Amino acid sequence: MSLLKVEHLHKSFKGLHVLKDVSLAIGAGERHVIIGPNGAGKTTLFNCITGTLPIDAGTVTVNGQKISGLPAYTAVRVGMSRTFQKNNLFGSLTVEENVQLAVNACKPHRFHFLKPLARYTETVEETESLLKQWDLWERRSRVVNELSYGEQRLLEVLLALASKPKILLLDEPTSGMSPAETVQTTKLIQRMPRSITLLVIEHDMEVVFSIADRITVLHHGEVFASDTPGNISGDERIKEIYFGGGTLQHAEA
Amino acid sequence: MKASAYGKHIGCIALFLLCPFILTSYGVKLASEVLIMAIFVMSLGLIIGFAGLVSLGHAAFFGLGAYAVALLGNHWENTYLLLISALVISGLAAFLSGLLFIRSSGAYFLMITLAFGQMIYAIVYKLEDLTGGADGMAVVASPNLGAGPIDSRLGFFYLTAVAFLISYYFLRLLIASPFGKSVRGIKENESRMTALGYQTRTYKLAVYTISGMLAGVAGALYAYFNQYVSPDLLYWMFSGQALIMVIVGGVGTLVGPAIGAGFFVVLQNYISSFTDRWPLIMGLIFVLIVLFGKGGIMQIAALLWQRFRPQRNSKPAQQAMAKEGNGIESVKS
Repeated sequence: MSLLKVEHLHKSFKGLHVLKDVSLAIGAGERHVIIGPNGAGKTTLFNCITGTLPIDAGTVTVNGQKISGLPAYTAVRVGMSRTFQKNNLFGSLTVEENVQLAVNACKPHRFHFLKPLARYTETVEETESLLKQWDLWERRSRVVNELSYGEQRLLEVLLALASKPKILLLDEPTSGMSPAETVQTTKLIQRMPRSITLLVIEHDMEVVFSIADRITVLHHGEVFASDTPGNISGDERIKEIYFGGGTLQHAEA
Repeated sequence: MKASAYGKHIGCIALFLLCPFILTSYGVKLASEVLIMAIFVMSLGLIIGFAGLVSLGHAAFFGLGAYAVALLGNHWENTYLLLISALVISGLAAFLSGLLFIRSSGAYFLMITLAFGQMIYAIVYKLEDLTGGADGMAVVASPNLGAGPIDSRLGFFYLTAVAFLISYYFLRLLIASPFGKSVRGIKENESRMTALGYQTRTYKLAVYTISGMLAGVAGALYAYFNQYVSPDLLYWMFSGQALIMVIVGGVGTLVGPAIGAGFFVVLQNYISSFTDRWPLIMGLIFVLIVLFGKGGIMQIAALLWQRFRPQRNSKPAQQAMAKEGNGIESVKS
């Protein structure tokens, strides 16, 4: 049975039909990558799946539980969390404070107001182990705005992982990274346990083919193809969309 | 907290409680007023500096608290009961108005709270039979915590001092708690907080309500202090003054607004004894602080401290201040 199911999803912005009848089924433990030219609706699809944007029609279910139509903060409660294409962090807080907020989001004591957060050992310990695991422990007292871009990108993923998600949606995790950082991040994604199902938007084909079990090609808001990496790379029509095709797509990319 | 930190706190409290012995009788009275204003301005500083909600109608909650004591004081004598009713009434007003207002932010929030404040002002102004309208009304009730009426200036100072200390330590705990940290996170980046699974509106509504309650308690104390209430306590000018005190003191800190209140009240008292044009001088000071010391008195103090005590802890102080900002940016967004 698939863990995340998107069925007949439609979304339009003031008459512009951005997503047309998108259906996806992602099995537990799968590494599913979404590719497609700029403007294909990839990030909009993420926003619709997580509830950040309301959808016009269709359903999103996680583990058989319908979540479409529910507010965005409920996504985490069913075990789904996401990262953003552009770093979306707490810029003037420290690295440690960022992670503490993320860890605390799912704790029953998140509303408590008469005891300092620093005295909730569960939160403090989880924060510490996450920071150590991701090599950011040395940087814990730094204000996030002072971190390098690559480190901020790393923190972006770390915050999404803090809620111990079953499904993680990564929106272009390597965008803007140096080649060395890209290699490092790809390794990190590959090393993630199979208990986390991944849905990734990615442009870098090297990264795509080194992590994907399945690839979905989104084109003009429609699912153009959804298949194994082997079949996708052999498909002439997809090469057409990405490289050959009309000059329009070329200019966009 | 380490034992030495506890020691520091106890030392400060002791010095603070010994203040009346070096002040004149008038000074003690002024100190009580400063403390009441400090509670009020701290409550506003909480929503501005930590939740990014810049309100221009906060005097409504202060005034409601004051009128609660004035009106209910005609029927009840119990001070605890009156203080609690002031807290409940202003808290309820904040909660109900917050339900509607919390959806907006930035300049829209400022405008809608201004409109709300003026609405409460108009109601109190028009209900002449009940409130005395523009003439205001005398406060009959006098404070009595169970050990006889508190009618001396010294006694009243200690009443406000205890109220101030309770408010201060309550807020200190609040901003360090999971709830307070989350509110701070929402100010910083609401969309990420939602993505992390936080129900951000609930947090904003809760902090707005707490802030309204505290303002109501300050208003209640003011009614006892002044023994007279008038619609001016609800007027937008008073909200604006409180906003200035927050900015002058230092947005994003807890002590800052309290210091801003003290600075403002004391200066106003002294300057107005020399000239009727005191608002002009206050205005100039305000402009200078906004232009040259964005973090208010707190930042200026931190910079001075750094200059003259460079041997230890100089860097963290600078970082702490640098990340606070002046809060004005939240109006622009």
